[in-house]
Amino acid sequence: MSAAVKSQPQLGPQRLLAHPASQAKGLELDRQLQAMFPERTNEAADALLTTLPVPHRRLERWKYTGVNGFWADCTRNEATYSDSKGLNPMPIPGLEAYLMVFVNGRYDATCSNLPVAEGVSCMPLSVAEKTGLVDRVLTDMEHTDWFAALNGKYASDGAFLSIADGVILDRPLVIHHRQQGQGSATFLRHALHVGKHAEAQVVTWSSASEDATGFVNVLTTGSVHDGGIFRLDKVQDEAGAVHHLAMESIDQAANSQFCIHTGTIQGLWVRNDLFIRLNGSGADTILNGAFLPSQSEMVDNHTTVDHRMPHCTSSESYKGILYDRSKGIFNGKVFVRPDAQQTNAYQQNANILASREAVMNAKPELEIYADDVKCSHGCTIGQFDEAALFYARSRGIGEAEAKSMLVHAFVADILDGFGVEEVALEVRHRLAEKHGWNRWDEPSEL
Amino acid sequence: MAYDGKDKVLEEVTAKAYEFGFTTDIESDKAPPGLSEDIIRFISDKKNEPEWLLKWRLDAFAVWQKMEEPEWPHLNYTQPDYQAISYYSAPKQKKVLGSLDEVDPELLRTMEKLGISLEEQKRLSGVAVDFVMDSVSVATSFKAKLGELGIIFCSLSEAVQEHPELVKKYLGSIVPTKDNFFAALNSAVFTDGSFCYIPKGVRCPMELSTYFRINESGTGQFERTLVIADKGSYVSYLEGCTAPQRDENQLHAAVVELIALDESEIKYSTVQNWYPGDAEGKGGIYNFVTKRGICHERSKISWTQVETGSAVTWKYPSCILKGDHSIGEFYSVAVTNNCQQADTGTKMIHLGRNTHSTIISKGISSGRSQNSYRGLVQIMPSAENARNFSQCDSLLMTDTSGAHTFPYIEVKNPSAKVEHEATTSKIGEDQIFYCLQRGIDAEQAISLIVNGYAKDVLNQLPMEFAVEARKLLAISLEGSVG
Repeated sequence: MSAAVKSQPQLGPQRLLAHPASQAKGLELDRQLQAMFPERTNEAADALLTTLPVPHRRLERWKYTGVNGFWADCTRNEATYSDSKGLNPMPIPGLEAYLMVFVNGRYDATCSNLPVAEGVSCMPLSVAEKTGLVDRVLTDMEHTDWFAALNGKYASDGAFLSIADGVILDRPLVIHHRQQGQGSATFLRHALHVGKHAEAQVVTWSSASEDATGFVNVLTTGSVHDGGIFRLDKVQDEAGAVHHLAMESIDQAANSQFCIHTGTIQGLWVRNDLFIRLNGSGADTILNGAFLPSQSEMVDNHTTVDHRMPHCTSSESYKGILYDRSKGIFNGKVFVRPDAQQTNAYQQNANILASREAVMNAKPELEIYADDVKCSHGCTIGQFDEAALFYARSRGIGEAEAKSMLVHAFVADILDGFGVEEVALEVRHRLAEKHGWNRWDEPSEL
Repeated sequence: MAYDGKDKVLEEVTAKAYEFGFTTDIESDKAPPGLSEDIIRFISDKKNEPEWLLKWRLDAFAVWQKMEEPEWPHLNYTQPDYQAISYYSAPKQKKVLGSLDEVDPELLRTMEKLGISLEEQKRLSGVAVDFVMDSVSVATSFKAKLGELGIIFCSLSEAVQEHPELVKKYLGSIVPTKDNFFAALNSAVFTDGSFCYIPKGVRCPMELSTYFRINESGTGQFERTLVIADKGSYVSYLEGCTAPQRDENQLHAAVVELIALDESEIKYSTVQNWYPGDAEGKGGIYNFVTKRGICHERSKISWTQVETGSAVTWKYPSCILKGDHSIGEFYSVAVTNNCQQADTGTKMIHLGRNTHSTIISKGISSGRSQNSYRGLVQIMPSAENARNFSQCDSLLMTDTSGAHTFPYIEVKNPSAKVEHEATTSKIGEDQIFYCLQRGIDAEQAISLIVNGYAKDVLNQLPMEFAVEARKLLAISLEGSVG
């Protein structure tokens, strides 16, 4: 961070409060992980791990998100690295794409299919780091979040993709991560670079076996250079009882475009933490997400868009439908720095509570230090529209079916927004399977 | 495009001196600085309080000592030295006054400068004024008139002596002593405040009003207000404050508790104009206020506030909607200029069925000020068919000021409908252009636009207050807001 930026208002938790009990738990976890992975060291991350507060309920960013599941069940490491037997390496049927497969954080070369083309450099991160193609630089994310710092230290592999200036990646790159077995801690780190006027589409897909437990900690660092276009489709479909923490730390240069679509199909505990910095004027960001948790699942979406330069735009829309005893959290932050005049930022969060026990906590924030801006946000939490239901019922459509039509209409714009059509179709298919709809358009019950 | 004279206008704004900056020279009876059990005993003794109240204060003090000053607000200030503050100061004259003639003429002059001459108020507006100077009430009017209806409107210390059963029952019932750091401090050391009780079925015929003034240098002011509206009653309560110019930061930690029993209505309006500090951010009042009301069945509490003063404001007038069909409202205009900082908003806690709440918050930031809205809407599982609508808009007048929104929305009942919307923008150039085209100059145009912007809130104020509020808006943003 340059000195000029430092003199400006600081983003992120301004006063970090450490809680002695959680601090002790965090350091104990670090100690156990270190015993398991003695070869993984990083001095800078170590320093952060001791100074940053370990997340607990009284930290503003973790107010609604319990982290107790982390301490107990991730260092048994009973999962022996098994090969990809029983694993379908390509989770998206019918998609022609490049593929990188990781199982419990390890790269699986046999299942993978890397792009080979001029101006495209794609390999496991471990190889890229070893050959000096990329250094591990800790981003703002690691400097503000303890779990991100943990990733900075323990992540041993991930995807590395670098697109040279003016090059367009001809097919999407699918990065599939599979969590298997009991109690393992997985750290994955992706480094994705899109050059000037280059273009890339990446899909990150997370899955887990039925018996999987433990936690998955994924940090994606990305940079999009002048005029580059980078689309990221992110799907979380983890069976079992996995704690999934996915962080994206993205830097955008002038006139670049970044779109991220997040679809959370299932997962016991899912937290998405996006941190997008608009470092050049004319940059544009689109962030969309849909989550439909059921049973006792928890989905947490935290987003931060940091408008640092003038004439940037950001548009954000997150929609959730919460079933059973599930819990949803949305925290969107639009941060406009003093120089970022002519910013146009829009944020929308809409939620439906579909059951008595479901809980939604939303906190759409604006923090604005420039005057010539247009920023707005809206947030709603409510029920299916009675009038719309009545309209459907009075025309002979059953209640369950009518509701599913409304669900469809409610999240359609988000689901249609995935960069890859096959991903959109598969997400719908998986959602229909999860919620017991025979077909999306004609569900038998809801 | 910058409209003509913007810089000039802003210069004028920052150059504008605080109008009400003067002090009154009255000998006062003052406790030595510092806070300890002895000081609390001293205050309690001075006020001739019953044993239970002293114990209550000491309990609060014990709790306060274990608490830490909150750090979560979006505020940046030096924490006051709580041992350097004098916790008791009362004007010397103690004899009971029968009429205004007996009031110290100097004090009367002060009131005149504030534009709240008691006689004027009494004669023209029909407003009963409980004037609080530093910590002890010195004049109360219209008491007899209200007494006929059974309305009790007096200072809290008087109420402790004369209506101990009501005070004991309700004091601290809404804002418990351990609620937060400043509420605990207030509970331990509060010196006086206003007490109001409206009996069953009575509609209070006039607006009740209190004027606060911090007067003695180095004294904090710890007011405590208790308003009880019994079943089926109605009261409109006004609170307004101005304070003399001081270089040293002064602390104001008040507590306001409202109790709206079944089918009653309380309308609580505030115009706050404590000294905001000078253009460099030197001096000014620290305003840390805890305001909360509870609504029983079919009752309504409406908070309206116009916040233009104070160097630092920390204030969240809240409603606990406990009874079914109860209604909570919050209307706020917060103006910050120069180096002022405000972190203000509301909490609406829905417990009862069919409870409704409305939040309208309008922030205006100018100079180098920071203005934050922080609000909580909480729908508990028992709150069937609860409804909330929140709108918080921010208007930025300069590129060095900040406007922030931190809404918390927690919903635990699926039948609830909660809507929140917020916008941040500066005054539209097209709007100004439209006015200029029609021969309205830039300054008047801004005034028009800002008045229109804050209209939803200003319209909620009682007539007498609306005039003062507009005056304050004008002083706070003079030049840029007519």
